[in-house]
Amino acid sequence: MIEILPSSTTSQISSKLAQAHAERGEASQGRVLTLLVSTSERELENVLATAIQASQEHPSRVIAIVTDRTEAPDMTTLPAVAVGTVAPLDAEIRLGSDGGAGEVIVLRPAESLLRHLDTLVLPLLVPDAPVVAWWSSSTPASPSTSLLGSMTRSRITDAQMTADPMATFLTLREHHTVEETDLAWTRLTVWRGLLAALVDEPPHTEIQSVTVRGNSHSLSVDLLGAWLAWALKVPVSFEVDEHVSAVRGVVFHRTDGDSVIERPSDASSDLFITKPGQMKQTISVPHRTLGDCMTEELRRLDPDEIYNAVLTEGWDMISHDHWTTQR
Amino acid sequence: MTTSASAQNPLERDENWTNPLRDPRDMRLPRIAGPCSLVIFGVTGDLSKKKLIPAVYDLANRGLLPAGFGLVGFGRRGWSHEDFADFIKENILAHARTPFNESTWEYLKGGIRFVQGTFDDADSFKRLSDTVSELDEVRGTQGNHAFYMSIPPRDFPTVSRQLADSGLAKSDEGAWRRVIIEKPFGHDLESARELDRVVSEVFDPQSVFRIDHYLGKETVQNLLALRFANMMFEPVWNSNYVDHVQITMAEDIGIGTRAGYFSGIGIARDVIQNHLLQLMALTAMEEPVSFSAKDLVAEKIKVLSAVRLPEDLGAHTARGQYAEGWQGAEKVNGFLDEQGIEKDDTTETYAAIRLDIDTRRWAGVPFYLRSGKRLGKRVTEIAVVFKHAPHLPFQDTATSELGNNAIVIRVQPDEGITMRFGSKVPGTAMEVRDVNMDFNYGNAFTEQSPEAYERLILDVLLGEPPLFPTTREVELSWEILDPIEKFWATQPQPQAYRSGTWGPQEADEMLARDGRSWRLP
Repeated sequence: MIEILPSSTTSQISSKLAQAHAERGEASQGRVLTLLVSTSERELENVLATAIQASQEHPSRVIAIVTDRTEAPDMTTLPAVAVGTVAPLDAEIRLGSDGGAGEVIVLRPAESLLRHLDTLVLPLLVPDAPVVAWWSSSTPASPSTSLLGSMTRSRITDAQMTADPMATFLTLREHHTVEETDLAWTRLTVWRGLLAALVDEPPHTEIQSVTVRGNSHSLSVDLLGAWLAWALKVPVSFEVDEHVSAVRGVVFHRTDGDSVIERPSDASSDLFITKPGQMKQTISVPHRTLGDCMTEELRRLDPDEIYNAVLTEGWDMISHDHWTTQR
Repeated sequence: MTTSASAQNPLERDENWTNPLRDPRDMRLPRIAGPCSLVIFGVTGDLSKKKLIPAVYDLANRGLLPAGFGLVGFGRRGWSHEDFADFIKENILAHARTPFNESTWEYLKGGIRFVQGTFDDADSFKRLSDTVSELDEVRGTQGNHAFYMSIPPRDFPTVSRQLADSGLAKSDEGAWRRVIIEKPFGHDLESARELDRVVSEVFDPQSVFRIDHYLGKETVQNLLALRFANMMFEPVWNSNYVDHVQITMAEDIGIGTRAGYFSGIGIARDVIQNHLLQLMALTAMEEPVSFSAKDLVAEKIKVLSAVRLPEDLGAHTARGQYAEGWQGAEKVNGFLDEQGIEKDDTTETYAAIRLDIDTRRWAGVPFYLRSGKRLGKRVTEIAVVFKHAPHLPFQDTATSELGNNAIVIRVQPDEGITMRFGSKVPGTAMEVRDVNMDFNYGNAFTEQSPEAYERLILDVLLGEPPLFPTTREVELSWEILDPIEKFWATQPQPQAYRSGTWGPQEADEMLARDGRSWRLP
């Protein structure tokens, strides 16, 4: 069910939501969190589909704020507004099959409201439940002090999706707080699991150095290298391969030969593992979707200490010279 | 891997080696099983088709199985590896929770083998041994093999013996062998001990995984979280406030084609002995000092050893057999008309028992356990029913419709918690009536959350200590049930109950004698 509420107010949205739940005989309780999504009109439907997928495991109220601007407009450029003026707020409520295991509120605030996003969404939050913010692409320089970010308990950015991923990422890193993660890190979880499993296997011969292969324009490649350098305390070098969009593979250079784990093509989910003195093995590991990543993000809202360490310590342990700005 | 190779490497000999990539603070990192194979006995059975095979596929699809993985079926059919692979694919398509992925299938298929044979034939086990060695060679399973006994308990001794004789039960240093046994663990104390003797002769105690598939790790952990992570339940979780506890496991289906297994065993041995007594122990136990398997078991054992049976078993237990009737919209057979059941079979398909726990916490609080087939609906729940408030400052008419408060832990189908309490009926008159407040673990569990069998198989392959019953718990459970079974054996035919109802009259009378009544789940 999708209900359009043109020129609405937050209290109208709240009461409409309560009324819709009552009519449908559903309880609006049981939401475990509020997910604030800052997105653009172009990305909206994809972003909602992802949020709805994640809400299957974490029933949540999704509030999407559709704006094509990331920073609040400069106050001085705005005309003075008289008390009692009501700024236009177009809204949508989606429930049932259109709202996943929760409900979706889409807000299209007028420019004059962008300065007050916090008090705009405040009445719509799930009472006494954590608030998570997700910027689907454009990201404020400092999420923790941004209007939306300051009211949240954890913040998710996606620097890879911005126009200049490295520049965005470096800015985010500068303003980083432990409550923030970037999806470039979340996308690595499967790779990290496979690598840890490879190192688990005896014999535990010493790893002397590591080569990470991947696209020269992928933050995930750099983060994977930074994590390995931080955790293994060995030199990590990079080998550029533009045929894949992110990580192609990792080579552990060990005293008795190379352990290699590789996914040579984006098109296939086949992954190859080679160990010293053993034949090549194949395993199929399906590619992760954005929905998988969001579900993982929402699973734990406490600070990710490892990511924090990789960002503050690991990042400077490796060279980022392979990074190119053109695809 | 040879010993000389490992001798060159100082790290290998170090017992305290830890993986530098596994930081205990890293909560995201998944644990992927090491190289191994899973050998299933009874692979054409229902459990294997509907649960095990799909779970293996789902694990593969989630990327939790190793590159070196083999799946071996052992059975009577004259199948080739390809026939067996077709059989597996068919069941994946029918029952897996994650979508079918051709590439995952190709990967799994490379490690699928079938060994044709019978349990009493030593040659078949020789072939099985050759097959797993071949997997070690071509798939790199590195000598790690798990044996899943999805077979009737009477075959355990034979298969264990054969595994021992063919050298499959023990492995070289560095590799592991594990065996997974499904409930029931015997049919009384004596047979449980015999079974344990046979299995532990062949496998080390820590390599034996006893599995109660009704009781997933998720359920156990949900229960522990509810009881011990919260402040508001613990203060009332005792005889000062609790009137009694009802633990129900109801099935809406009959015995189906399982006459051979079910006849002579009955629902009490099938379900109460393991599942319901485990749920009771988890509900009644004191707080464990940690949630490690060892400390958890210690607390469960305390509860099970404090159980007291009613003196008059006739008055405080009940049995029944389903008669023909209409299960919803379907006309169904009575138990005695089921295929393979004799007309004078005295096996019960419904059982209810009262147990008391002699501890300070539970003195005077009876635990009623009931389980049956062809009941009103499929449901498993634990209902903690509270006493009435000692004083009600209302007129009698105001609270005439008020029942007992209750906390209901729903185990299945929709896992969650219901709280039942009195609330004023809106209006000018003062009237209090019972209302329910529900909490669900996720409105819809999707493919995202692993199914009980997935967690279970993964735990075995990882060698994680499972939260399943230990030998001591199994023995204690039989010590509780054996006297009841002995008493029932002296009784005539169990009372008939119409299919689709909530059990025999006898069960209602049993609670009425204590001034209580069964909940309608």
